[in-house]
Amino acid sequence: MGNKQAIIVVVDDSPAMKTVFERGTENLGVDLRLFQSADESWDYLEHHQPALLFLNIKMPGRDGLTFLKDLRELPLHKDTRVVMISSKDYAQDRTVASSLGALEFITKPTPIRTITDVIQKYLKVDPA
Amino acid sequence: MSRAYLRFWGVRGSYSAPFDTHLGVGGNTSCVEIRVDDHILLCDAGTGIIPFGNELMRQAAKQPAVKDLLIILTHYHWDHICGLPFFVPAFIPNWNLTFFGPGHSRRDIEEHVSAQMRAPYFPVGTETWLANVRYLDPPKNQKLDWGPISFSYSSVHHPGTTYGYRINVNGKTVLYISDNECLFLDKTIRQKYGEFTAEEQALLSDMQKEEYEAEIKLIEGADILIHDAQYSLEDYRTKRGWGHSCYIDTVNTAIDAGVKQLYLYHHDPNYDDQVIAKIFEHCQTIIKERNSSLECHIAREGMIVDLS
Repeated sequence: MGNKQAIIVVVDDSPAMKTVFERGTENLGVDLRLFQSADESWDYLEHHQPALLFLNIKMPGRDGLTFLKDLRELPLHKDTRVVMISSKDYAQDRTVASSLGALEFITKPTPIRTITDVIQKYLKVDPA
Repeated sequence: MSRAYLRFWGVRGSYSAPFDTHLGVGGNTSCVEIRVDDHILLCDAGTGIIPFGNELMRQAAKQPAVKDLLIILTHYHWDHICGLPFFVPAFIPNWNLTFFGPGHSRRDIEEHVSAQMRAPYFPVGTETWLANVRYLDPPKNQKLDWGPISFSYSSVHHPGTTYGYRINVNGKTVLYISDNECLFLDKTIRQKYGEFTAEEQALLSDMQKEEYEAEIKLIEGADILIHDAQYSLEDYRTKRGWGHSCYIDTVNTAIDAGVKQLYLYHHDPNYDDQVIAKIFEHCQTIIKERNSSLECHIAREGMIVDLS
């Protein structure tokens, strides 16, 4: 019950990943907000700092790395906790994500359990 | 109708291949000119931009020449920018160069373009360019116009932020996707399938379908597709995850998407003319076996494609 305040934002165009996130958070009691593109999430993220932000990289519109750079220029998101989640399992993407302050780089395909574990790791939340 | 064409000035990937066994296809790295009357759009600035610049200088010496260029970059790996330090028009006053590529601002793009010309990597920096140089801010809708040419871009599967361009010219759609590892997630899923639960495996199938549909959407409607076809199947087995396609995936995806003409591009520098000829033969076999009307070509240096 005490975890209701924790907002998790996911920016990913994949409907299948939406299901992975819904399943991975269903027992954590967090508030999950899903957006399909950087632009779609902008109106929300411009004014709100989530407890944890998951960003896909290759998606329609702005890619996740460019978007993260845009976000970091906003004082609100200077320290926002970000986890990249992408099929782009390339060293360069990992390096750029790390230089932009991403905490982790999770590759697709992603087990449901990994989503749960990462959220618990950074939010210190227990299953409801 | 405008006079329009595209010309391949560089067709290699990774690094230049100036070997006599390779010159039937060409040794310069990525660079394609698209010209409509007095407007020139240049895709990438690998070593192919050097002979292109020299040709522009020859034209300018004889007659009033086009001195206004837009250079769009897919990304900043060396094989796509390493011709710029030797691009003569950049060092001549009254030429106008406009750059666009991945980046979150025009300053970002300028930084990426300029970085390779800093000491100790090059004796002079971009501040020595005498041409009027500007960099475009990324538009919010991912669409830009250059006179009669319009284009949009989207990110593709290659290390770092890399763009594929959809270019509309003279009523034709040209897709320039120099570096893209086709169906990468699909292959990862096939490799790791057994590690997932039954519930997850159902989602993996959805992910494969989503990725396939995204690949089709990326290239559908193309009159001309210029696409990464760097590796043979044998080499792809050891170079999966390097950000390039096996030509078999490229040709099959082009067939599935209903592309009219495919130009196999970004050839591996280790492949001589004979190896690339065999790749072409195999592509023709695939096209025949699939009863497709796809017109497939090997992109060769100097090749001109009419866009009129």
